[in-house]
Amino acid sequence: MDPLILSFALVNGLLIGGIYGGVALGLSLIFGVMRVVNFAHGSLLMLALYAAFWLQALAGIDPYASVVVTVPLLFAVGFLIQSVVIAPLIRRESALVVEPLSALLLTAGVYLVIDNLALMAFGPDVRSASTSLALAPLMLGPIPVNMQRLIAFSAAILAAVLLSLWLRSTRLGRAIRATAQNRDAAVLSGIDVPMIYAVTFGIGAALLGLFGSLLATFIPITPQVGLSFGIRSFIVVVLGGIGSIPGSIVGGLVIGVFEALASQFVPATSAAILSLGLFILILLVRPSGLMGRA
Amino acid sequence: MTTSFSRRVALRGALALSAAAFATTAQVQAQSQTEISVGWVLPLSGGSAAIGQQARTGVQIAVDQINAAGGIKALNGAKLKLVFADSQSKPDIGVSETERLIQRENVAVMSGAFNSAVTFPATEVAERYKTPWIVMGAVKDEITERNFKYVFRINNKATYDAREQLDAIDLLKKETGQGPKTLAMFYEGSDWGRSHAANVRKLAKERGYTLVLDEAAPPNQVDFSAQLLKIRAAKPDALIAAFYTPDHLLLSRQMLEQQLNLPYGVHSVGGGTEDPSFYKAISPKAVAYYFVQEDRQVDALQGERLPEFADVEAKFKAQLGYDMSAYGAQGFAVMYVIKDALERARSAERQVLRDAVAATDITAGPALYAGYQRIKFDEQGQNTFAHGAISQNLNGQRRTVWPAESRSPDTKPAWPVPAFGARS
Repeated sequence: MDPLILSFALVNGLLIGGIYGGVALGLSLIFGVMRVVNFAHGSLLMLALYAAFWLQALAGIDPYASVVVTVPLLFAVGFLIQSVVIAPLIRRESALVVEPLSALLLTAGVYLVIDNLALMAFGPDVRSASTSLALAPLMLGPIPVNMQRLIAFSAAILAAVLLSLWLRSTRLGRAIRATAQNRDAAVLSGIDVPMIYAVTFGIGAALLGLFGSLLATFIPITPQVGLSFGIRSFIVVVLGGIGSIPGSIVGGLVIGVFEALASQFVPATSAAILSLGLFILILLVRPSGLMGRA
Repeated sequence: MTTSFSRRVALRGALALSAAAFATTAQVQAQSQTEISVGWVLPLSGGSAAIGQQARTGVQIAVDQINAAGGIKALNGAKLKLVFADSQSKPDIGVSETERLIQRENVAVMSGAFNSAVTFPATEVAERYKTPWIVMGAVKDEITERNFKYVFRINNKATYDAREQLDAIDLLKKETGQGPKTLAMFYEGSDWGRSHAANVRKLAKERGYTLVLDEAAPPNQVDFSAQLLKIRAAKPDALIAAFYTPDHLLLSRQMLEQQLNLPYGVHSVGGGTEDPSFYKAISPKAVAYYFVQEDRQVDALQGERLPEFADVEAKFKAQLGYDMSAYGAQGFAVMYVIKDALERARSAERQVLRDAVAATDITAGPALYAGYQRIKFDEQGQNTFAHGAISQNLNGQRRTVWPAESRSPDTKPAWPVPAFGARS
């Protein structure tokens, strides 16, 4: 195998892996704080992609500029889903954490509703948005590196760093971490837990708003696009360590690089099997994930 | 439980009795029925949903026309009633929906299902229940190679598609004295793509081409960087691709982004590249010089539109917002083949209808709208007069380059195709 091709495969894998990690950040945060596996994660990304697409198609707003709309919009959607759909379930639960199974079923219902509403509202046609920014590809030897992907990759790393800092140093961030550690103790300390949950869900969704705008420039948009990302995000989060922000990025990079390199030797169909094999192997050796606290 | 069971047994006995008693009048009853149900299994959601909607629109337009013109005349003007089912582009759903349409909705004839992976098992169900099935869109060879009695296909099978692609390459090679020596194949990994790849593999070997890459990908991918890199490393002269719309869009966009040049171009076997919604979503730059194996000669229909279809195409465009597609035309044509068979059968009974479909020999009329000169099935149910055309995307338009006699005088194929850097 040509070393140039392999090194380029490595670059590709890092780029797409970082993007997987960035998309998975919200899922990890929500699970870490609320113990709710958000099955509708991919659907929210799909909504963000459509929001970016329609903003360009109807108002002529460049997908990169649409971040100022999609991030607050998705924050609102996430906030609402938590406070209207999931909060009643949590209120009913007297145990320390929500029964993960019932919350999973609930968010699975949300996923089905959102995906099918999108199919009804937007139709089955595949759409695409494009940026008007003239982005000359970065040349790596004779092979170009796509700038849109590089931007999304950088945003993923930046988002993870900022989110970690924010959780560590601000009052609200500390309240979120306190709630994650012990819900009842947080209540006793005067933290408004339902509000914290809604804000956490909102932030998780807002991150998808960001990536919706960034990915819209290079991903074909269909009502089903969320599923591919949703399942991958779940694998990335479990691999990296559930609830760990850096773990999400590391998990994404591992999956991305592994798939990109494996794809050079076997067909994509088998590469998917290999990466799921790797997933099982890591869970057997390190059940808490790569960066998770045991 | 017990009561309902015994009631069911009693009911069944009563039905058997009445069936025996009225056996002689059954024929009369069938003739005087006012509605004939036609079942359609189509991918109305999932990866092929756009195509399913196009087919459904074509079908609906045809049925509205037939019913408005007085229905099935041989059956006292009986109207056609459509029963659509959504396969979600998934084989298991397609099979259970087929069972439902045949058993519960009691349809006289079935059609669909575009995706080969759905059509292949679903037609098996139809064969089991002795219900005729007119295949729409699916090209997997084996669908009409199983000695089935109830399965018919109007359109090409995969072998024809592969042969036409290589015929076009051979033709251009003969005309210009230059052409590819090595080919790469990149295709979706379900029934359609694999069936096509197997045919290309065989034909390419027979005709002396070297296959330097043979790669399948699972559907609904989000990134093809790794595969494009493989194509780049294999350095093929031309690429043969088979993908449905979303994946084809991703592939074409990424090839443009990566400036991946192939001296003798990309030869797509349709799927995504025949879907009008694909062209709405992609930059013309990304599909310039593409060769597409078309089920229906697109430019011929643009040049001299038949007046009786102007209305059909206007309605189609009004409903979906883009011009008639090959799949809309195929759905339309299937309904006229069914109408023709019903008129000759003078019955909506499945077995009688099956014999009428088998005896189909149409040489004129709206049933040929999908672009063939004749529809006549061989003993396996395959229309041997099916054929497609190969177009090349020149200045944003798909112009037929093969067969040579269908090429218009102002169409000059670009061969070899210009590199990305050299395009204006």
